[in-house]
Amino acid sequence: MPAKERNKLCMECKHAEFELTVRKRQLCSLCFKRFIAHKVQSRLSVYRAFGLDGPKTQLLLPVSLGVSSSVLLHILNTDRQHRLDNGRPLGYDFKILVIEPSTIAATGIPFDQNYEALQKNFPMHTITRIPFHSIFDHVPEIQDIMKEYAGSKFIDDSARSNGERLAAFRASISTPTSRTDVDTVLLTRLIVEFAKKSGCESIIWGDSDSRLAAKALAGVAKGRGASLTWQVSDGMSPWGVRFEYPLRDLYKAELLQYESVCADLADVVIPDQPPSENVLTKNLSIDELMLRYVQNQGAKYPGVMANVARTANKLNPSASDGAPTCALCASLLGNVKGNSGVTVANQAEDNHSSQFCYGCMRSRPEELC
Amino acid sequence: MAPTACFNCKEARAVIIRPKNRHKLCRACFIKIFETEVHETIIGTNLFFPGERVAIGASGGKDSTVLAAVLKTLNERYNYGLDLCLLSIDEGIRGYRDDSLETVKRNAVQYEMPLDILGYSELYGWTMDQVVEQVGKKGNCTYCGVFRRQALDRGAARLGIKHVVTGHNADDVAETVMMNLLRGDLPRLSRGTSIVTSSDASDIKRSKPLKYAYEKEIVLYAHHRQLDYFTTECIYSPEAFRGSARTLIKDLEKIRPSSILDIVKSGEDMAALVPVEVRGTGRSKQSAAEEESAGGCGSQNGRTSGGEMAAMEKQLTENDAAEALETEIKLPNGARVKANRGPTGKAVKTQTIKHCERCNYISSQRICKACTLLDGLNRNRPKTAIEVGVGMEDEESSSTLMRQMERAQLSAT
Repeated sequence: MPAKERNKLCMECKHAEFELTVRKRQLCSLCFKRFIAHKVQSRLSVYRAFGLDGPKTQLLLPVSLGVSSSVLLHILNTDRQHRLDNGRPLGYDFKILVIEPSTIAATGIPFDQNYEALQKNFPMHTITRIPFHSIFDHVPEIQDIMKEYAGSKFIDDSARSNGERLAAFRASISTPTSRTDVDTVLLTRLIVEFAKKSGCESIIWGDSDSRLAAKALAGVAKGRGASLTWQVSDGMSPWGVRFEYPLRDLYKAELLQYESVCADLADVVIPDQPPSENVLTKNLSIDELMLRYVQNQGAKYPGVMANVARTANKLNPSASDGAPTCALCASLLGNVKGNSGVTVANQAEDNHSSQFCYGCMRSRPEELC
Repeated sequence: MAPTACFNCKEARAVIIRPKNRHKLCRACFIKIFETEVHETIIGTNLFFPGERVAIGASGGKDSTVLAAVLKTLNERYNYGLDLCLLSIDEGIRGYRDDSLETVKRNAVQYEMPLDILGYSELYGWTMDQVVEQVGKKGNCTYCGVFRRQALDRGAARLGIKHVVTGHNADDVAETVMMNLLRGDLPRLSRGTSIVTSSDASDIKRSKPLKYAYEKEIVLYAHHRQLDYFTTECIYSPEAFRGSARTLIKDLEKIRPSSILDIVKSGEDMAALVPVEVRGTGRSKQSAAEEESAGGCGSQNGRTSGGEMAAMEKQLTENDAAEALETEIKLPNGARVKANRGPTGKAVKTQTIKHCERCNYISSQRICKACTLLDGLNRNRPKTAIEVGVGMEDEESSSTLMRQMERAQLSAT
């Protein structure tokens, strides 16, 4: 074979022509998918250990219909199918939860076709679809917490529909940063509650490495450093459900590559909105700023950005058993044990007696902090 | 439009919007609140004891000038009973340090504090100007940083003082937190935020009473109290890469003014979560001074250069590649490796404190960093100068650090 042609071959199987370049290696789409899937499965191998004869662990996979979570679903589904075809034990199984994107983002992107494609392409799974405002049904205590949190800025009218009540609460929070922050907290609670009700002991989140890096940096910037041990690291969440981030070794760009070679994902994924150019920095939310930062810097220094999430993953979960936690986000109130710092969230009297943590206090409607 | 009344006293006209929380304050209330917050930091962390002798690391810049002014005010107002003095390091940068030292000298008179100035030339036989002549502008901040860390300790020792306070502000600390997170430097993440950096190795304690004070508020305080400070940045720094962390923090502050403090809070919490085995044993085994990334020059410190980031990127990529080639070797069941293992089973490498063989300064190595750098400098210095040795300059350049130190010690006694 002439050298020129040999150069076009996949470096792994040395058989097919290469289609993609990943981490400086030229691979065919099959070997590429195998490489990506391996990175994910090695993260979940702990759940296999129980699986030989023992009970199957149930996991919950929340799918946003974005690239990352859809790719994760595809990888897990492919693996599951492969095991079933070969008569090998599964070890774990998973349920899929879709929180209706139109009830989260104000833009109201239509997603019905994508959801149908999801059901059609992944018929083997239990897929549940719930709106964001069903949090009032799934987490009944949240309405009192919301009232306490938002103060006079939010007048709850239980006669109105859940959707309107949630919208009113969200409208009481003034800045984009605080809104995004509180939304994330509420979404997490809803998903956790759903996981508990449907008997899932872990939630597998579809956050790519780049996303985790941005989350870590944003968490730090919002005073939520102590919660990184479950918001970015694999570990036990305060609600007794484990959080796993099996895409933590993969960059967003690699997930996009994966999506591009999977025909059955084409109709499922709602493409990311391109970041608008004409936004003043001060009008961005901190989460957005950090995503942009990680994207920009990641283009030049992907490893350095990847290392941020890895560093956060090395932190020990705080050993503050029984210490009071935030009514809203369940993070620790006050300082982590061993931290003698004297930072306080506000000058108000109720700072120490507050039922909300430092991070949540910062996102409260303005007059209260 | 009617003038806004002060948020605090509701009487006087507000002239300041506080960068920290955008409260509108009058001049007197701002000054009072700023001072009270520093006081609360000092009390909340038990920073001083009555009768303590404290040296203020003074560069003539805004941070250390404000620190000196506030400490003097608080010392009198709340009867701390502190014996305060100023300690300055002369890096030997003509056009920068000689001017700022004049400021420190005036401060000493204004605040009625004794002032001690210790020079690099006196300590190391090299002024920064000479170092730059030798190594060029690139990387000279490394020399300056290493030299300065030791210099403050040595200066304090010479004065018989055990506590040095520096003008590090909340912005510096926040920057250090972000920087260490970006660098993946867990040991420094565990130490960088604490208000006091003392160590088993050195008996000189360092602290940063302005740790929770915003840089912008320090500038406002200096302005409204009409303090006499020096504003020019180090002339060797303009080429220095204004690092990622710095830009990021400035952007964050625009979005949410409290971010700086929030990062400090996160940093403090995360410090407590760093696993013990990577922290070093409890307290730092390195000299407290080694821990600080920001010193007096305020432009390069705590930031990294593009080169460093690229180098780290390269290393991480190589590690990644190597990892992919590795085959995991599992020990047969039951086999356990004992000996020399930490609580989590990982091998723990502990640092041992030694003293530098040359200068006797605390070091984890046989030769301390400053002496290593000096070795490099001295090797390239023309030998002829030693023989000729007439002028003060030549005399200095032929001396070894040991001789310089002896002289410093002699003058101390």
